[in-house]
Amino acid sequence: MPRLDWRLAVKTIAGFALGLAVWLLLTPLYDRFLARAAEMTIRTFERPPVTRLKVAEDHYVTVDRTDFDPRSKRPAIPLRDLTFNFLLLTALFAISRRPFSDRNMLGFLIASAILTLTHVFGAVAEVMSIYVSKLGIWSTVHYGPFARNFWGVANHFYRLVLMYAIAFSLWWIFRSDGSEPAPKGRKKARK
Amino acid sequence: MHRPQVLFLVKFFVILVVAYLLIAWNPVNDHVIVPFTAGITRMSAAVLNLMGEGVTVSGTVLSSPRFAVNINNGCNGVEAMLILLASIVAFPASARARAAGLLLGAVAVQLLNAVRIVTLFLLGAHYPHLFDTFHTAVWQIVIILSAIVFFLIWSARVATPRLATRG
Repeated sequence: MPRLDWRLAVKTIAGFALGLAVWLLLTPLYDRFLARAAEMTIRTFERPPVTRLKVAEDHYVTVDRTDFDPRSKRPAIPLRDLTFNFLLLTALFAISRRPFSDRNMLGFLIASAILTLTHVFGAVAEVMSIYVSKLGIWSTVHYGPFARNFWGVANHFYRLVLMYAIAFSLWWIFRSDGSEPAPKGRKKARK
Repeated sequence: MHRPQVLFLVKFFVILVVAYLLIAWNPVNDHVIVPFTAGITRMSAAVLNLMGEGVTVSGTVLSSPRFAVNINNGCNGVEAMLILLASIVAFPASARARAAGLLLGAVAVQLLNAVRIVTLFLLGAHYPHLFDTFHTAVWQIVIILSAIVFFLIWSARVATPRLATRG
């Protein structure tokens, strides 16, 4: 358990601020990666593969399909609404007793990699929730009640609480306790 | 990870899913969550009017001549309360300690959430270019982080040797 004093507050705020800076800086690049990864995932399960996710302005990604009427409007999804739990992860890893220890940094990197996979899931759920329920008669014709409920709940659950629960759980699993052995050099110096 | 910590995570997710399904159920949403959110809206409007913003309320919508906002799930603090509920109930503690933690935590989350709504409304009305970032990322994480930090403080006080948390 981290020490619960003013240092905890300072470390939390510093971790959050650092995470916010990194997130704001990398979001345009990360959105492209995420759109591509989600598109590949969706197309893997499509017969024939028709989905195209195109990065638009203002952190939105346009959902396009080659079988859509070219005259119809394309829906768009805000990818950054699905990825800001990264800030929670950085703030939580910052409250470790030794935030820059090797073990804590390694834990943070592994947790971040897994978080990226969950972002792909979040983006897929967002696109699928549009397909199953937000395209009027097209949705009704192509998807049944099970798919509508499954993807609708998956998307809502992810956005409302799951994205935070994932960040919290990854920290819980990969956090360091600050009790790792001291570096060898220090031990020798004592002799 | 030790077994009790794995058990904590499993319980945490099970409780979270059950609690989510309960609040997402239409009768609960319509008769509990929406009136609760409307109450938060009225409280926030009262604070904003004390600050001279000239706000009116219609259900869960706050509006003034400069700005209007609809308070939905995700902005009513319920998501943070679910995280708090799942973590406190999953943690080994007495029923009394859990009840006290849930009550205090819920009050703390809702007080902070009132500050969030008021500041977001002021940002939307006076600094609209900042609204999106603060609405999406900053305040949302601050609320969830507060709930988690509250849980850490609470669990440090009630922790039994069985789940001596590390970190």
